[in-house]
Amino acid sequence: MKSVFYAALLVAAYPFSAFGQTASDLLNAADTPQSVLTYGISYSQQRFSPLTQINRQTVKRLVPAWSYSMNNNTGEESQPLVYNGVIYITSQNKTVAVDALTGKEIWNTPVDYPPDTTRVVCCGIVNRGAAIYEGKLFRTTLDARVIALDMKTGKQIWSVKSGDAKDGIAMTSAPLIADGVLITGMAGAEYGSRGYVEGYDPNDGKRLWRHYTVPRPGEPGADSWPDHAANASGGSSWTTGSFDPELDLVYWGIGNPAPWNALLRRGDDLYTNSILALRPKTGEMAWYFQTSPNDPFDHDNITSIILADLTINGKPAKVLLQAGRNGFYYVLDRKSGQLIAANPYVKVTWATGVDKETGKPEWTETTKKAIAYTEEIQTWPHITGGTNWYPSSFDPRTATAYVNTTDYGMKYQPDPIDEIKNLKPGDSYRAVKISPIFNADGMRGHLRAIDPLTGKSKWAIPFKSPNWAGTLVTAGGLVFTGELTGEFIAVDSDTGKILWQFQTPSGIIGQPVTWEHDGKQYVTVTSGTGGVYVLKTPDPNLAHVPPGGTLWTFKLIDE
Amino acid sequence: MIRAYRACRPPLAGGLPFLRRCTTGRVVLCALCLLVGATSRALAQDEAAARGERLYAKYCSNCHGDDLQNNSGVAFDLRRLKADEHARFVNSVLHGKNAMPSWQGVLAPAQLDDLWTYIRAHGYEQ
Repeated sequence: MKSVFYAALLVAAYPFSAFGQTASDLLNAADTPQSVLTYGISYSQQRFSPLTQINRQTVKRLVPAWSYSMNNNTGEESQPLVYNGVIYITSQNKTVAVDALTGKEIWNTPVDYPPDTTRVVCCGIVNRGAAIYEGKLFRTTLDARVIALDMKTGKQIWSVKSGDAKDGIAMTSAPLIADGVLITGMAGAEYGSRGYVEGYDPNDGKRLWRHYTVPRPGEPGADSWPDHAANASGGSSWTTGSFDPELDLVYWGIGNPAPWNALLRRGDDLYTNSILALRPKTGEMAWYFQTSPNDPFDHDNITSIILADLTINGKPAKVLLQAGRNGFYYVLDRKSGQLIAANPYVKVTWATGVDKETGKPEWTETTKKAIAYTEEIQTWPHITGGTNWYPSSFDPRTATAYVNTTDYGMKYQPDPIDEIKNLKPGDSYRAVKISPIFNADGMRGHLRAIDPLTGKSKWAIPFKSPNWAGTLVTAGGLVFTGELTGEFIAVDSDTGKILWQFQTPSGIIGQPVTWEHDGKQYVTVTSGTGGVYVLKTPDPNLAHVPPGGTLWTFKLIDE
Repeated sequence: MIRAYRACRPPLAGGLPFLRRCTTGRVVLCALCLLVGATSRALAQDEAAARGERLYAKYCSNCHGDDLQNNSGVAFDLRRLKADEHARFVNSVLHGKNAMPSWQGVLAPAQLDDLWTYIRAHGYEQ
């Protein structure tokens, strides 16, 4: 009788603790470093942890606690979530819950999709993570479904079809819960789909709104396309946005226009390659900022969006930071969308700068040629961009961003108009010939510590193959990231010196997180090569990196 | 990129027996015929491989690597396909394999031949 009484008391005291986290947990995610509750670690997506137990001095004692097989060979890009002693992680073919301390599987729910699905998956058969809220776990699937699972059992609660492969649509990103709404994006500009961002009711999967990212005739932005946007396509939304609860705005990166070849789509092509500020309850757009209008180079503006408070000219400023794929580091006023700074953080030759008033890039002659003629040109950065989907982190104490960059250019030649005039959704919407121009020093990427306001690197570590992993920065003075050759590394955030590394069994394309349990700090990351660079780009440095997904957790060994 | 397919292609079989059947007076004419035949055959091969290259870039390179250069281990390295593995190639493309989708109804038989010609022109083993 006594035990029943205590059980009842516990349930009353912690109504959600056994079932999943609440809206207020999500709002306070940055202040609860014991857990990892959302993509980006907090709504600001700074990927900064105040934990200090693992630091510059102690990191040499960092050892694996356990590893777990993801039983998947196509690449592990997912960000782990950690809640109440359980790690939740996704793969393209499953969602799993693992005991955070032992690595033992709790449940494993397969994801099945029709075999034809991957015909329209351009850039790696992957998934990037989940969202959790009030006892449910939410994820997307390659066949463009949004699903909810019971966090306790892994049982499916609901599944909603968002898009279809025949329209060129797939889904790979982690959803975001903002103001009680489940928000998600889609992929498919490489197959001529029409992009959108959507809001769902997390309770039952009812779609609340869909915000199309490219217009149709008569809609705002239509006149920035030929034929008033009658056939406009592209503008996918394949990474996860950030959220400012105070301003009630969700910030979502929107991708490239389709096809890449720009010969038949003169105009700004709104709202491709833009940041959209949306109201989470309705999907209504408060403002937009376009980074690369009329883009021929696939400078897909989906790189991570970080919210930060900076001091600019002695005044506090609420800003939004983005290392744009086009090579410029953008700082915007996140209330108004007004440009504050845009400076190159890698080699950029497609534009000489960005106009401070209009936010528009100043094209070079080669870019003008690439938009209008079929002549071959050379330009930097490559379509891969100065960085790509893998998120960067930001240390609010030093106002420094930690970004894995790709540092090479390309030869670029549009196919003739005949190749693009009859394209239909589901076809390949590239129609350009591209070959990379690598640097003579053999280094294709860097981990950089960047000053957002100048774009300048405080330090930069070169790598033969570009890192295709997210970064995590901690108050312990460490930046964690992974290499395509499998090394999981910890770097001194002040100096850029590699202080520690561990060889995982495959290349790392995941997103490291850190968390705490019973006063002990842990670091978790996936290993498992894949993703668009590894699949497409010839790289002799990767000749002996086998595929195979694993999940790793590290802790300090006792002295 | 235009490639020197002829340089990679195995020498045409059957040339010499055909020459031996020629009488002395017709040698020059026969040689000329042979040359023209071989050249047109080589040209046809080149055109098929060029078409195959375009198809490859559109449908296959996402997973199998740009210009067939595959370092991922995630997808099959198509340069490993041997001359006698045409049936294996067609079966995989039409029915899918592992993470690879079926391309039945998307790629026509003639396009499969073009892809095969392109892939074989770059095979590790001729």
